[in-house]
Amino acid sequence: MILSLLFFTFSFVFYLLTALLYVGNWVFKKKWLGQTATAMSIVALFSTTMILIVRAKESGHAPFSNLYESMMLFVWAVNVGYIAMEYKYKFKVMGVFVMAFEFLAMLSASLLPYKFKSAEPLNPALQNKWHWMVDLLSKIGYEKYAIGWLDFHVFTTFIGYAGFAISCGLSIMFLLKNRAEEKGGNNFLLDAFPESKILDELSYRTIAWGFPFLAVGIVSGAVWANYAWGTYWSWDPKETWSLITWFIYAAYLHARVTRGWRGKKAAYLSVAGFAAVIFLYWGVSFILPGLHAYA
Amino acid sequence: MATGEKIWYKNKLWYFFNSLKLTLGVLITLAVVSIIGTVIEQNQQWPMYVARYGATWAKVIKTLRLYDMYHAKWFLFLLALLTLNIIVCTFERFPPKWKSLLKHKPSKYDPQSFTRIIENCSQNHSVNFSGGKSAAKERVLSALKKKKFNVVEYDGDGSLGMYAWKGAIGRLGSDFTHISLLLILLGAIVGSFSGYKDFKIINVGDTVDVPYNEFKVRLDKFWIDYYESGQIRQFNSMLTVVENGKDVLTKQIWVNEPLYYKGVRFYQSSYGQSWSKIEEAGIGIVNRKTGEAIGEPITIKWDEMLPVPGTKYSMKLVAYSADLGIDEQTKTVFSQSQDPNNPAVGLEIYENGKQVKEALLLLKYPGVFQALPTSDKDLVLTGYRGIMYSGVSLNNDPGTNIVWAGSIVMGIGFFFAFFVFHRKVWVNISETGGSCQVKFGGIINKNNLLFEKELQDIADGVNNSGSKS
Repeated sequence: MILSLLFFTFSFVFYLLTALLYVGNWVFKKKWLGQTATAMSIVALFSTTMILIVRAKESGHAPFSNLYESMMLFVWAVNVGYIAMEYKYKFKVMGVFVMAFEFLAMLSASLLPYKFKSAEPLNPALQNKWHWMVDLLSKIGYEKYAIGWLDFHVFTTFIGYAGFAISCGLSIMFLLKNRAEEKGGNNFLLDAFPESKILDELSYRTIAWGFPFLAVGIVSGAVWANYAWGTYWSWDPKETWSLITWFIYAAYLHARVTRGWRGKKAAYLSVAGFAAVIFLYWGVSFILPGLHAYA
Repeated sequence: MATGEKIWYKNKLWYFFNSLKLTLGVLITLAVVSIIGTVIEQNQQWPMYVARYGATWAKVIKTLRLYDMYHAKWFLFLLALLTLNIIVCTFERFPPKWKSLLKHKPSKYDPQSFTRIIENCSQNHSVNFSGGKSAAKERVLSALKKKKFNVVEYDGDGSLGMYAWKGAIGRLGSDFTHISLLLILLGAIVGSFSGYKDFKIINVGDTVDVPYNEFKVRLDKFWIDYYESGQIRQFNSMLTVVENGKDVLTKQIWVNEPLYYKGVRFYQSSYGQSWSKIEEAGIGIVNRKTGEAIGEPITIKWDEMLPVPGTKYSMKLVAYSADLGIDEQTKTVFSQSQDPNNPAVGLEIYENGKQVKEALLLLKYPGVFQALPTSDKDLVLTGYRGIMYSGVSLNNDPGTNIVWAGSIVMGIGFFFAFFVFHRKVWVNISETGGSCQVKFGGIINKNNLLFEKELQDIADGVNNSGSKS
């Protein structure tokens, strides 16, 4: 508990610093600030990774079994997604929004009540390991590292969430930039944004990552439910909200096929989609009763 | 079929189902209305809705079937609309797409039309190459091959043409995904019309019938594993499949680990102390008049026959009830609840191998019913050792495999749709004097940013002048 808390505190500070560095880079447009920000985001990623590893050691299972642990996974996935994107497209302005978001996520995780945080052994319904993997790893004596549907289900779902989070940020940037472009004139801060066309495209690309991962998450959840309870779909609030989210993003993807729905309308759909994700993730756990009450 | 001829089914209705607006409308409607069922608790008792929402709203809930919304006709109607939409769109779009994928290569080379296509491409480059036509051709070919393009070459008078492509299969991603959704829906429909669900309480040692099947299932053992901290780790049942009187398969099941046999799955879903069976009972022999105990109590196992010492009788333990109740009409005993509020055992009393009486012994009220017909002795229940039962869910759903097949197709579809991009590139090389002008342009179905970079790489690969194109 102590060690993972230590890394949590580190990460908390790192994300704040990283966000500030990206803001500095955005406002002052200094190359060294940008480079330091990128380096810092990698340090923060390392620290977040350590939270997950240490946490797994402390609890004896993959750290995906309560709200706090899943938050750490979420923060981790968003950071990985962002770094990959920055490396590929070289736009550092996104970092301002992504890292500020990461910091807020860390803040909200730290404010969670204790019962959502403590490292607990897995209850019967959450114990699931793939036989083939246990068999394979037991040959070299590492069977306790085998994973199962729980791990796969949570991991893929959160990659999806991370994609949607980044896409939502990009869509908001698009809306700001688009308005500035329509109005014309110069804006000291918005000029640093990539063109709205590019933001629109990038937002689409991240959803194109998130959408299949959410689908894999839903399907693996169904496979697992079929093992644990004997039905693959029971219209539990979490299941239903995941489907609602999926419908919204499906609408987004189809909307892009027609020209008229690109740009603004697509951006609004993307923001609406992420609002649904937030409710799916937090709202359902806190407000609506159901099978996913633990996370 | 002559072009322009009207095909019989292509009427207004067909185009209604072919429209993308319908897709967007239905998807967004589904997303919005699905929220209702997560806010209003589903499948509760009627009074709950009245108490929580008031009589008026409860009536609305009843009329619109909002208490079981996802099976309501209007919700299924929306799903049916989406299904028809998918089917019609696939019929409308797939055949021409398939044709264009099969016949995508230009049949002949015409430098002018090639140049025109290149200039119309959103991405195009013009690079100068110092060297001959064939050298330029080799250079372009290697640049394209490096990017894993398929290439066909065309020869013309004074100029060369090339057509390159890759990732054509990505075009089919959306069709795979749409077909996968239909498969999943088909699986759900098959599951709801055939197949069955059941729930069995099985006492340890008992065998139960499996509905619609010849085989039976026996519970050999039930146990709970604990963590060192005392928290429950797992519930386990050892099940044996009995077919034609023979044990054919024994498997330990737990939550997350069902037993599968001949299309039926058996899931661990609950457990408890049995209210209708025990492992053994302690029977004391007492003086009927004084109630004084005579000797030590005898331990008798379930279904075991033992002599009653000092009498001509034998007894056999055949029944148990945790909370004894008597049905006035049928005069039979049963258990009023699962809790041991009034434990009682039933004994059969035998004399010379013939049953003479059925005796009922109550733990809390010894001596209320006489156990032995003619004797100065009587029997009392001094204690018992209970057994566990395991609650096992049975499920046979032939639709499940269709759903999984659909899921796999969906995975393939997503991969093609989101990660494989169809790219087409046209190249025109014309030689003037000692140098060549290489013009090329291309289109991609998605992901323009990626393509822009790719074509720039090709341009850089061809360019040997040292200056940026």
